[in-house]
Amino acid sequence: MKKATIITASIASLALGGCIQVKAPDKPIEINLNVKIQQEVVVKLQRDAQDLIQNNPELFPQ
Amino acid sequence: MTRMIAMIAAGAVVALATGLAMNMPARAQSGAVASAITAGTVGEQADGYLGIAGSVSADVRAEVESINIKRRAAYTDLAGKRGVTVQDVAAATGCQTLSSRVKPGQAYRIGGGAWQTKGAGAIALPSYCATAN
Repeated sequence: MKKATIITASIASLALGGCIQVKAPDKPIEINLNVKIQQEVVVKLQRDAQDLIQNNPELFPQ
Repeated sequence: MTRMIAMIAAGAVVALATGLAMNMPARAQSGAVASAITAGTVGEQADGYLGIAGSVSADVRAEVESINIKRRAAYTDLAGKRGVTVQDVAAATGCQTLSSRVKPGQAYRIGGGAWQTKGAGAIALPSYCATAN
């Protein structure tokens, strides 16, 4: 009885395991890195930009 | 020889005087640009330059162009020091002007979009300004 249960359980798990399929997407995956790079450069330049504005008030009238 | 020195000196004086004469109206006009900014006829753009948002005098227009040329020179200088493009420096400066210098009621423009008037809240900045402050 116990043996039968184990066998049944293992067959069931085998059957389930066999059903999992990993399929590659049809379309190629595109990752756009340009935006990220541009963003990092601009973020790093924020402090420089602040200084530039403060040091050149005649170029940034308010 | 003495004559030549005298001529050079005279030339220098003329050049200096011309420089002063050219600088003075420009200085006076930058007040006109400031007034135009307050009035919302001149505004900051996300690209880091000033733009004409409404009806302005030829003097104001000329001064805006002059300021933009000087800005470009400053951006180019900084871009060279940091090894980045002039556009990147200009865009970073645009993030700053839009986030901290444009006041409510003043005009601003993002990208090729229409001119907008700043309300009470902060301007919705372009995504590349994300952590700008």
